[in-house]
Amino acid sequence: MTTRGIDFKALSLKDALDLAVLVEEEAKERYEDFAAQMDQHRTPDAARFFRYMALNEAKHGEALAARRAELFGSAPSAVTRAMIFDIEAPDFDAARAFMSPRQAMKAALASEVKAHAFFVEALPALKDAAVKALFEELRDEEVQHQDLVQAELAKLPPDSGLSDEDFVDEPTAQ
Amino acid sequence: MSANATCEFQAKDYKSDLKPIWCPGCGDYSVVQGIYRALAAVGRPPHEVAFISGIGCSSRIPGYTTAYGFNTVHGRALPIAQGIKLANPDLLVLAAGGDGDGFSIGGGHIAHLIRRNIDITYLVMDNQIYGLTKGQLSPTSQKGRTTCTSPYGSLENPVNPLLYVLAYGAGFVAQASPTDLAGMAAIIEEAIRFPGFAFVNIQSPCVTYGEEVQQIKGLKAISENLASLGHNPADRLAAMDLAQHYGEKLHLGVFYRNPEPAPTYDALIRERQAALSKDAPPKERILDLFIKK
Repeated sequence: MTTRGIDFKALSLKDALDLAVLVEEEAKERYEDFAAQMDQHRTPDAARFFRYMALNEAKHGEALAARRAELFGSAPSAVTRAMIFDIEAPDFDAARAFMSPRQAMKAALASEVKAHAFFVEALPALKDAAVKALFEELRDEEVQHQDLVQAELAKLPPDSGLSDEDFVDEPTAQ
Repeated sequence: MSANATCEFQAKDYKSDLKPIWCPGCGDYSVVQGIYRALAAVGRPPHEVAFISGIGCSSRIPGYTTAYGFNTVHGRALPIAQGIKLANPDLLVLAAGGDGDGFSIGGGHIAHLIRRNIDITYLVMDNQIYGLTKGQLSPTSQKGRTTCTSPYGSLENPVNPLLYVLAYGAGFVAQASPTDLAGMAAIIEEAIRFPGFAFVNIQSPCVTYGEEVQQIKGLKAISENLASLGHNPADRLAAMDLAQHYGEKLHLGVFYRNPEPAPTYDALIRERQAALSKDAPPKERILDLFIKK
């Protein structure tokens, strides 16, 4: 979770909305990427869940983009993807071969926790009241997203407690 | 906050229709994203880019990139990339491979590309293991590492890729990792823009055969940004000093950028061709050169 070249003190509402859209876009792309990885490795349940998450991120991104368009029209954006990394997107190595739905959901939950932490950390630096209100709203939404994933987790049958790692052979001489 | 200049090309323009078949969570997924972003920032159209690789997991990367691509033979990405660059100097030529491909099987080629200073960007995805062939000891595996070919622990010291290329006089040497995708893209872009041989060592974790400390969390724990350390990338000796910490610390950024880049071999060849062609006989009389007068 890193940012580059963002001056939170001087962040305007337009830039904050653009930033939030980029955060959702990055997460959506990562989940789509994870879903494709699961497809390639014949793990359809995890792929389905990652697609569901990608869809949710896309919806949030579209809602934020609509707000931005309503308030600022097509005014040029001053923030780019190069300024953010892994804010709400799960870490690149959070995917694993043959992930169970539980593992997939836990990876998503970790990224929602990470996104919440980002907004909590950024809030004290913000000066603009409207930006502050937006970040508080986004922070609270991340809690709702965590609840959503927790609810999905609760629907799963109990975990067997076994891991793929339990079946890995130790290296042998060749 | 300043906006980056808008590019004619987007990162997605360099993404091919082939779906990567790397293990889920592989660091190379991040590297290929970094390459797409860097190519978009440079703005050369895909038909002006040639991407050459050797053999290994990471060497699949040209297939996942929309550009001319050649997945060559083990360790031979660099000589083939060199031939392509000399045959068509206007192409932007990238070469890629893993640590085994680059520093073991193809280790002998690097020195020659560096001394010739051919304008190629060489990206090594260093995961300290032969992942494609199921986890054998590689030239950058740390001493003591237990693998299927070193069941009692490796007795060998690893190759230090950064010191290796710095010692041979590479004009641009940098290190990146998936712990910072935006930083990686910026470094690859800078390497591409450097006029001469540019080397980027990318610590790309192997999720299947790599050790826990080599995964993203482990890498984050030992990473330090060279710019924040106040490192001057024009100082080659300081770069060599920092490069000695390879394996203990993960220094991210540009170790060395020659402030006065030497002419590239491809440019010198063009000059030589132009000079010789002044008094050269017409093509149809070229065989006369071999006839004793």
